[in-house]
Amino acid sequence: MVDSKLGIFGLLSDAGPVVLFVLSILLSFSIVSWAIMAYKFTYVRKSLSESRAFLDYFFEIYNVDKAFVESEKYRKGSLPRVFRSGYVEYHALGDKVDIRQLKARIARAVKREANAESKRLSSLVPFLATVGNTAPFIGLFGTVWGIMTSFHNIGKAQSASLAAVAPGISEALIATAAGLAAAIPAVMAYNYFTHQISIIERDLEEFSPEFVAAFINEP
Amino acid sequence: MEKGQKPGYAEKNFSLWLVAAALTHALVIFLAIYLQILDANRIVKPKIVTVSIVSLPGSGGSYEVSEKGGKEAAPAPSSEAPPHPAESKNSVTVKAAIPEVAAVTPKKETKPVKVKEKVPEPAPVPPKKVAVKPLPEKVKPKAVEKPADIAKALERLKQNVDKKAASPPQPSAGSLNNALSRLQQKVKSEGNPASTGTGSEKGSGSGGRSGAGKGYGGGGPTASYQAEIASIIMQNWEFSKLLLKNSYGMEVYVRINILANGTINKIVFDKKAPSEYLNNSVKKALEKSSPLPLIPKEEGKGDIWIGFVFTPEGIEK
Repeated sequence: MVDSKLGIFGLLSDAGPVVLFVLSILLSFSIVSWAIMAYKFTYVRKSLSESRAFLDYFFEIYNVDKAFVESEKYRKGSLPRVFRSGYVEYHALGDKVDIRQLKARIARAVKREANAESKRLSSLVPFLATVGNTAPFIGLFGTVWGIMTSFHNIGKAQSASLAAVAPGISEALIATAAGLAAAIPAVMAYNYFTHQISIIERDLEEFSPEFVAAFINEP
Repeated sequence: MEKGQKPGYAEKNFSLWLVAAALTHALVIFLAIYLQILDANRIVKPKIVTVSIVSLPGSGGSYEVSEKGGKEAAPAPSSEAPPHPAESKNSVTVKAAIPEVAAVTPKKETKPVKVKEKVPEPAPVPPKKVAVKPLPEKVKPKAVEKPADIAKALERLKQNVDKKAASPPQPSAGSLNNALSRLQQKVKSEGNPASTGTGSEKGSGSGGRSGAGKGYGGGGPTASYQAEIASIIMQNWEFSKLLLKNSYGMEVYVRINILANGTINKIVFDKKAPSEYLNNSVKKALEKSSPLPLIPKEEGKGDIWIGFVFTPEGIEK
């Protein structure tokens, strides 16, 4: 049988409802933020590697048709996606419009896809920032509440001995610890992802005109 | 078409990660609790330390304890034991022997209790024997695991106690009264109650052989008062002679300043023993004895100084 006064379990079993509520919020924050971290890590990493590989191929052959065929291999890369959207627009218009209109339509399509890709990349990441910013405060709230309750109970017990004071404060402090445990990885992950996403966005900005030019100058 | 498929795929992918994260959190929490339970259930056996020599603070006090030779060590204390009644004729030494039980056998919980139960029945002299006997049991830590040995030892103890109780013709009155009467006899025979102390000027002045002693003959009020407080101090003195390696030079000359209300005002060590254990035990006994009974009216209203000489055998006259 588990001893009710044993470590974390003992602290949780003795904690008040508010502290438990705070802890459950922090736990859910932590679960979601770790899921985002794992999901985004694979997504961003794949996007970066596929974009690099596609760019290498594109500048090597400089042929839009071949590049389009090659881009089908890189379905998770941001740059191949943008290229594909431009290529689809280019083929949809065909010879119906003049070259100025064609350029404008392709540029618009590429920009739209770049924006969509940027949104896709940065989706869910702000949640990490939210967790990083708010989790310590939520934890602090739980601690303050716990200490408040603890002091109230101490007053009722009319004893200020360490044995009476310490358990309540210890229970309360677990909320701050949980808040920090949720916030620290979230902040670190947020900084990492914003940096990686900014790299991809910069690539999108730089190479979108290159793609448009490639379609226009298609022999 | 591609745009329509992507969000669904991404959502599914994210849901998988969400489940994985939840499972990981559950696993981490489970592990944290499990490891704590595991850690709490781990029985940490205290390391058995073999103590070959027990040294006491001070140069004079050390008593050798051999773990292996629990039985071999037994003769040593018992051989030491007989001299006690011989060399200490007054019952004060008997009183000193009683604290030995407490001082020597603090680790054993079962033994001293049983011994204490046996002690009160016989005369005050037998406890000295009793105090000596448990030593082998204390020295040998595995004695608890052998109930047969314990039973045997107890039998032996009983026999010794019975023998002792039968042989001495001394009365089996309360040890306190015995000690008091013997002290008083001693005082009476010497006729100079203040001879032991450096103080008690009044005692020596007023109390002569012809002095107005209240039933003591030659004691005088200071003598009887001194005897009374000596017995009180002896009662509070927790000291074991066995813990001293040798008793050479083990004398503590101490005088105390007693206020009219019986409070010990000052404790002055005129001469200390080489063993701090003895010195400290004397100091503690004096501190514990305060307040003493009120100073007799014959001594006046002021405070008085009374001196004692403490030896491992007790308070010397």
